[in-house]
Amino acid sequence: MSKNIRCRFCDSDINRNTIGLNKKIFGEDQRKDRMMCIACMAGVLECSEEDLIEKINEFKNEGCPLFE
Amino acid sequence: MIYADNAATTRISDTVFEKMVPFFKDQYGNASSHYTLGTAAKRAIEKSRNQFATALTATPDEIFFTSCGSESNNWVLFGAALSRCKSGDHIITSSIEHHSVLNSCKALENQGIKITYLPVDHYGRVSLSDVCNSVQKNTKLVSIILANNEIGTIQPIAEIGEFLRTKNILFHTDAVQAVGNIPIDVKKLGVHFLTASAHKFNGPKGIGILYKRNDIELVPLIHGGSQEFKLRAGTENVAGIVGAGFAIEESVNNLQENIDKLNKLYDSTVKSVRKSIPDLILNGDPQHRLPNILSLTFDGVSGEALMHILDLKGIYVSTGSACSSGNSEPSHVLMAIGLSEQQAKGTIRISYNKYNDMDEVTKITDCVCSAYKKIKLMK
Repeated sequence: MSKNIRCRFCDSDINRNTIGLNKKIFGEDQRKDRMMCIACMAGVLECSEEDLIEKINEFKNEGCPLFE
Repeated sequence: MIYADNAATTRISDTVFEKMVPFFKDQYGNASSHYTLGTAAKRAIEKSRNQFATALTATPDEIFFTSCGSESNNWVLFGAALSRCKSGDHIITSSIEHHSVLNSCKALENQGIKITYLPVDHYGRVSLSDVCNSVQKNTKLVSIILANNEIGTIQPIAEIGEFLRTKNILFHTDAVQAVGNIPIDVKKLGVHFLTASAHKFNGPKGIGILYKRNDIELVPLIHGGSQEFKLRAGTENVAGIVGAGFAIEESVNNLQENIDKLNKLYDSTVKSVRKSIPDLILNGDPQHRLPNILSLTFDGVSGEALMHILDLKGIYVSTGSACSSGNSEPSHVLMAIGLSEQQAKGTIRISYNKYNDMDEVTKITDCVCSAYKKIKLMK
């Protein structure tokens, strides 16, 4: 499912959890061709990659189906 | 960390915390026990009851302690229904109540009670004439929230109370967001019941308060021992009740000072955000509002997204939607004031407390504006 989606900035593969995070951070309607990888998102948001991975874990723990 | 979600809960006051500690450690007696340790606990509860009576312009025998605001609301709705309603009787409420009132009403509807959910205007105000026109011969209870938890709009409770004064209809107001933030006088409001919750005014969680006018009967919701004038059974949360008493006393003693401060924080927030984002929508009533709750709607940006970006910066606010299964459900309050689903989902709530200051407002507004622009840019 995620193999067709690539980071808009660095062209790296984006997995399901990163797709979920893109939707959480930029809105449910964020287009697939506008998504970004964790490293690029951390740069845009001026936070660390660890912060974003922690957010993914929080969403997982809440049972959000956007994450696996 | 900057905490700006004080409509959800507040930080406990240092004084309140210190007053509570002895009742966890040394003075841990059961208030129903008839020896010194127990009677000391009982006295501490009665002191708190007096503190609430003073704060609300009530008498101590009109103050009841419960486990939370939701319990107090449930008690009034189900207690009134049990003692006064038969199938087909009628209750009036509004469409922007807290879920503890709305879901109680839905449960009562399943038991044959008819419910009128009054609409509100664009500012979130219930109309007095709608209340008047909705009253039927078999109307037994009117329950209207005093100040809304999402948009801060204050309802014309005293006017509704005056209208109902000569009618044989019980009148309840859920004042959970109002108590501790604006002056409350139950006599001037003309209510039979009023709900409050200690953790909304720098008290502990787990303590609800119900004012019940002393000439009005209400059947118990929780049966058991003879606590709370034989109307609410269960061993009292002494430490929590003590903390709640000092929290309301502290809030009322500094009320005007806090209101003035909160109004400045409110005005500065609106001014700063509007400067960067001119099409910002400020929800709620500009005149009849709490000083501490701001509901802001942003065009084309998800409130949840804004909240998460602020969270990454250590700033805590809430949204106008509840996330469920990856899809967010728009707030019933924001939909009731006429926002579209998209606007409701593009809304955040910032709610201040006496512990917030102008430096925090600057950081919050800078972050909100920056997050808004980033989301727009990355779309």
